[in-house]
Amino acid sequence: MSDQKKRNPEDGGGSVDPEAASDESLQEVHASLMRKREEKSEGFPIMPIMIVFFFSALMLVGGIYMANFGGRFDPMVFDETKGPLAAPDEEDPEELDVVALGSRVYQQNCQACHQADGQGVPGAFPPLVETEWVTGSEERLVRVVLHGLQGPIEVRGEEYSGVMAPFGHLSDQNVAAVLTYIRQEWGNDASEVSEETVAEIRREVGSRGAWTAEELEPYTD
Amino acid sequence: MSDSSSNPDYTKQGAAASGAIDRSMRAPVVLFAAAGVFWLLVGTLLALITSFKLHTPGFLGNWEWLTYGRVRPAYTTVFLYGWATNAGLAVGFWIMARLSRNVLQRGTILNTAAVFWNVGVLVGVAGIFFGDLTAREWLEMPGYAAPILMFAYVLIALWVVLTFQYRNSKYTYVSQWYLLAALFWFPAIFGTAQLMAVYAPARGVLQEVVGWWFAHNLYALWLTPIGLASVYYLLPKILGKPVHSYYLTSVAFWSYLVFAGWAGMHYLAGGPVPAWIISAGVTGALLVLFPVFIIGINHHRAMAGSFGMLRTSPALRFTYFAAVAFTTVSVVAAIAAFRGVKEIVHFTYFTDGLMQWGVYAWFTMAMFGALYYLLPRVLQRAWPSPTLISLHFWTSAAGIGLYVFAMCVGGWIQGLQMNNPEAYPEFVDITRNTLPWLVMASLGGLLLFVAHVAFAIHCLWLLLRPETAENRSMLTAEPKTMKVAAK
Repeated sequence: MSDQKKRNPEDGGGSVDPEAASDESLQEVHASLMRKREEKSEGFPIMPIMIVFFFSALMLVGGIYMANFGGRFDPMVFDETKGPLAAPDEEDPEELDVVALGSRVYQQNCQACHQADGQGVPGAFPPLVETEWVTGSEERLVRVVLHGLQGPIEVRGEEYSGVMAPFGHLSDQNVAAVLTYIRQEWGNDASEVSEETVAEIRREVGSRGAWTAEELEPYTD
Repeated sequence: MSDSSSNPDYTKQGAAASGAIDRSMRAPVVLFAAAGVFWLLVGTLLALITSFKLHTPGFLGNWEWLTYGRVRPAYTTVFLYGWATNAGLAVGFWIMARLSRNVLQRGTILNTAAVFWNVGVLVGVAGIFFGDLTAREWLEMPGYAAPILMFAYVLIALWVVLTFQYRNSKYTYVSQWYLLAALFWFPAIFGTAQLMAVYAPARGVLQEVVGWWFAHNLYALWLTPIGLASVYYLLPKILGKPVHSYYLTSVAFWSYLVFAGWAGMHYLAGGPVPAWIISAGVTGALLVLFPVFIIGINHHRAMAGSFGMLRTSPALRFTYFAAVAFTTVSVVAAIAAFRGVKEIVHFTYFTDGLMQWGVYAWFTMAMFGALYYLLPRVLQRAWPSPTLISLHFWTSAAGIGLYVFAMCVGGWIQGLQMNNPEAYPEFVDITRNTLPWLVMASLGGLLLFVAHVAFAIHCLWLLLRPETAENRSMLTAEPKTMKVAAK
């Protein structure tokens, strides 16, 4: 790593370092060197020219580097090879595809009982297609999903008597999306359910157990 | 002290004064140096444990205090704040007192500061072992240690500034500029980092920017100026000839202060930080080469023709080793800052190797050189054993050489392998391939341990050795007057 490795003193060198210059003369000599050079006008000193060239070369390389990769000092440039990112509020947030979200929530939470085609299982799980329970009152539908439903109900002329689990743990957005999905899928053609509606009903009802068909009577419109 | 300008015979006056200054500086310099050597030994032990854990993860891993996550920060803290800062201050005080031609006044300030600084380090390291550490590189000490350190620091800075202000010399010298610059930089970087990264952490990536600005500048604007002050002082003192092209030093001084502060930002490459900050860091690291070039001319051309002196002067041997390391590490660091090279070396052991190249091969070796020069003068007795000095030098040089070689080469290979997932689909293979290099680094660490034990024993021996008339006459012999550049 350095020149010392070339020489290997057998005795380990001396142990007293010389003090070959007093502090005064150190400062005197250097101060005079500093003055002398500043006054120098004759001749053509090679060292300052080399220093100037070296400095210019470094500045040139540094300048080119900053021009190429400095992102024009734009705080929104994060990748030096690309342009600036748009500020978040300038760009339209990506449109939420409610149907896609609803479809995913349905597959994860509902499909096991109500089946992929929404027809349910005759005698066990009621269908979601062509029934007032789904395409009718939002008020009733939201309540069923948030808190569950138990006891006998009649759907498309058939009697069911099971238990539907509550899905209150889903977010308002997810509940709204899945309800919109089932109200518009499989030939159903009812209005969307908004997130606000779900939030309002959730707040209004608070926490409670599963509904029965009679309890839901007031909410059929 | 008489005004030097009223006495044309500076040499005689200086010789008498320098002995008086050395004697007066004994208490604070020995306090700081002894604390530094103590922390050096502690730090070396912790460093060895850290190094062993890299290739033998189970080593001492059953006790939470000695897990890697605590030992490594404890080691860097002990090394930087315990050893490097204590040694740097001891050297800095002495050079400042010598060049300001001031006998120690208000020594209590320094002795109090020594106690508080080291209590602060002790509290900080204990806090790290207790698990109170912060997650900031080189700033792991818990927040409650900082006020103690800051208090000690204010006393230290006050004393140095007063000493400089009331100097008895007609001219100043470059070493004094670097020391004063370092003294003003330290509270700026340490205070800002404590405030913005520990006490009231800045939000988002700004915190990261502050963190790396601090970590780089603790090396570049605190340790390095002290090291430069020492090399600039000792080279002409020992060689008896002036620094080459001295008229360029002020250009180097100012350009170094301007550019070095930027250079730390390149560590954030690849992070979610605005690109210009990283590019400015790369450019800063490149432009630092300008002052480094001038400083290199100053040091290496002053040395030219005097290599024989390396045989007889232990202080020169360490100091010149450090000067060579400073030039080389600055060039390598500038190259490694570029994004194209960063792609290979980022997040590998190379970074660690480069860090030790700077903090040990450069700064620590410079401090060893300075301590070898000043301790006999301050204590008025010669080093008892040339063999121990020799042992210290060669084990240090070989140890740090081996360590830096292993970490840099091993890290480079590690980086190439990580960039080649086709050939190395299993990450664990790459990790396994670094093992021989890590073992080699540990061997280097063992050599450094031997070096530091030798140094500590020698320091203790020197301290306990009686002050003899023979030694005193040798050390207080009148220094010669330097001739203006031998033509």
